Amino acid sequence: MIKLSELTKDYGTTIAVNKLSLNVTAGEIYGFIGPNGAGKTTTIRMMGGILAPTSGSIIIGGADMAKNPVEGKKKIGFVPDRPFLYEKLTGMEFLQFSGDLYDVKLEMFQQKAINLLQQFALWNWADELIESYSHGMKQRLIIASALLHDPQILIIDEPMVGLDPEAVHMVKDILKNLSANHNTTIFVSTHTLSLAEDLCHRIGLIHKGTLLAEGNLDELKHIANLGEAKLEEVFLTIIKENTFI
Amino acid sequence: MNAVISLLKPRILSSLNGLKRGNKKNNWSRILMFGTLGVVFWIGTFIIFYRVLSYFHSVQDFGDILAIKLLSMIIITFFVLLIFSNIINCLSHLYLSHDLPLLHSLPVSSKDIFLSRWTISNFDSSWMIVAFSLPVFISYGLIFKAPVIYYIIFFTAMIFMCLIASALSGILVLFGAKILPAGRIRTILVIIGVIMVIILILVLRLTRPEQLVNPDSFASVVLYLNSLQAPNSPILPTTWITDTIIAALHNESNTYLLNMSLAITFALMLIFLSSISSQKVYFAGFSKSQTTPRRLFTPLKYKGFNWESSLNFLPRESKAFAVKEIRTFFRDSSQWPQLFLMAALIVIYLYNFSVLPLDIAPIKAIYLQNIFSFLNIGLVASVLSAISARFVFPTVSMEGEAFWIVLAAPVKIKNFLWIKFFLYYVPLIILAEILVVASNFLLKVSSLMMILSIITTFFLVPAIVGLATGLGAVYADFKSENPANTVTGFGGLLFMILSFALIAIVIILEAGPVYNIFMADLRGQSLSLIQIMWVTFSFALSLFLCLLAAIYPIELGKKYLIVK
Repeated sequence: MIKLSELTKDYGTTIAVNKLSLNVTAGEIYGFIGPNGAGKTTTIRMMGGILAPTSGSIIIGGADMAKNPVEGKKKIGFVPDRPFLYEKLTGMEFLQFSGDLYDVKLEMFQQKAINLLQQFALWNWADELIESYSHGMKQRLIIASALLHDPQILIIDEPMVGLDPEAVHMVKDILKNLSANHNTTIFVSTHTLSLAEDLCHRIGLIHKGTLLAEGNLDELKHIANLGEAKLEEVFLTIIKENTFI
Repeated sequence: MNAVISLLKPRILSSLNGLKRGNKKNNWSRILMFGTLGVVFWIGTFIIFYRVLSYFHSVQDFGDILAIKLLSMIIITFFVLLIFSNIINCLSHLYLSHDLPLLHSLPVSSKDIFLSRWTISNFDSSWMIVAFSLPVFISYGLIFKAPVIYYIIFFTAMIFMCLIASALSGILVLFGAKILPAGRIRTILVIIGVIMVIILILVLRLTRPEQLVNPDSFASVVLYLNSLQAPNSPILPTTWITDTIIAALHNESNTYLLNMSLAITFALMLIFLSSISSQKVYFAGFSKSQTTPRRLFTPLKYKGFNWESSLNFLPRESKAFAVKEIRTFFRDSSQWPQLFLMAALIVIYLYNFSVLPLDIAPIKAIYLQNIFSFLNIGLVASVLSAISARFVFPTVSMEGEAFWIVLAAPVKIKNFLWIKFFLYYVPLIILAEILVVASNFLLKVSSLMMILSIITTFFLVPAIVGLATGLGAVYADFKSENPANTVTGFGGLLFMILSFALIAIVIILEAGPVYNIFMADLRGQSLSLIQIMWVTFSFALSLFLCLLAAIYPIELGKKYLIVK
């Protein structure tokens, strides 16, 4: 469902992503981890069509993001790391806007929007302007809007930032359910290693723009030459060695 | 004091870093353009004042009174401007800036934060007024042959006037923000300010100054000038400043030292008072500004009426953007005063045409009416340019940090820009055509001029809106705290220059052919072959330029937005 080939982003002074190639299959939850400045957000922004790559290709659900970005974007539910929204719209109006852009069927929109707002504990705030929402509420609204059009692929940058423990639990359940029961492909970047460990089928470790290692937890342990170990130890070992290219 | 200096450093260092070579925003064309404009404006102000004062000075007795009265009015105007701009700046710098939560988390006192922010606000509000007061006061010095000390005295007096205005505003804002949340005060103040300006413009306009050309009204002017000799109140800081400058002009050292001392001690006392007050009330006001903003007005809802449904004819994504744009536009209270101002300007515009003394003009009325009508096309287009600069140019920047939504959505950037274009094009073309038709109607022009005006406007408006949308996208600033201000940057200036240039070229291209058609029509003759070719070429070139201006900038904007 997601295929990145030789993806590179050169900012002139830094190469944020360097010839990154990876595949994510349908229904898979792929965790993308790495230290600060590793290139996670740049990769995710290129996948979401927000940033143009310097070279390489991105195929989303069969659509080439360079040739047919609109087709690719229709299949994506995108959640950025920071919840910037239209502050002068209400929560419900924002969902309506999103539904119109993603062509959600009109007869289904109202019920779906209500369900999502209730699910994300935003129903009581549905008619309030977004400028009065807290950071966590905005984050929940973005996730709700990303789910509105039943995307085949979810691309999420730091999904749990600003969420309270109850919301974290809820989002984790939603993501697992989408992957297991709806065959949704989920690409999630995170610093929370316990989340990646708990949620992801496969994990890719990026450092200085290069994919150092990928696989499930056992495969990563094997790569790091570790026996019984937590993802944190695996992460630190691979980053320290920096030799698994 | 050390803490205040440390708190000022980020601002100073940011400014210095901005000047360094290699800074993208710091290119020579930008500096040259702004520099030239500033110098032209400065020199222009100097020439105007020098000539006006020379004229006044040449009129015996009466002229000097008028010059001094003018000085007093200028100082009062500067002081009011300073107060207003300081209040707005103080509110932003003290309560609404994004970095304030960080500053308040630092181990520094509220007083230190206040003083550092007040200093920045004072500088931001005052530098331009001080800079552009120089040509005014220098021309006074030259005309009145003032001694060298005058130049030092007026500059010092200006500095202390700025400090008085700033300290007064600081105190007002400190106590105001304790009562009302800061965001609300700013909205209310801006609205009040604009209403005051509208009333002032309307009053000035409705007094019909054009009647002054009528000798019968001279008696009232003499009466008015007599009333100007009334003394100013001695307890007002503006009186001290005015008296200081006038005394320095005539080298009366006792008078200027006394008045200057009054101004200096008053300024220092106000700074001390504001500093003491800040210790007591600043933090409480800042806390209040953090509370959840509520809507100033809640929308009225009528059963069975849904304005969005009136846009159902649009494709779905276009409707989504249109609804979003209209909602955010009308809910953003900073837009309201601009709308009031625009409405007032339109009323005055049309009123001006209704009072034109065409019947008493020495030139043949029919000729004059049609000249006015032709110039009116350019005037309407210029008004449209100004409106586009304020509303259309910042429209892409207004997306702000939420622009990721557009980039991530399955919408082509080109479509997004064209949707923006049409959202503004429709109301602006209606407005422009109403202005043109109404003013032509008031001028009672010929049907040829009416048709020509309508058609030219019909093509100029999309060109101006396209130029504003496209250049607004090229020079978009998604991180600005106030996107409406993007028009004051390089891109905004470039838009205004290109827009006026386009209007001028179109008017020039049409002028010759229109004259020929008009004269042929008047004489009942037909156009020669060369004239027909000239007319065709001019109109075709005008049309081509308008289409180019409407389409090309949007294409350019698309490329820039995708690269970003």
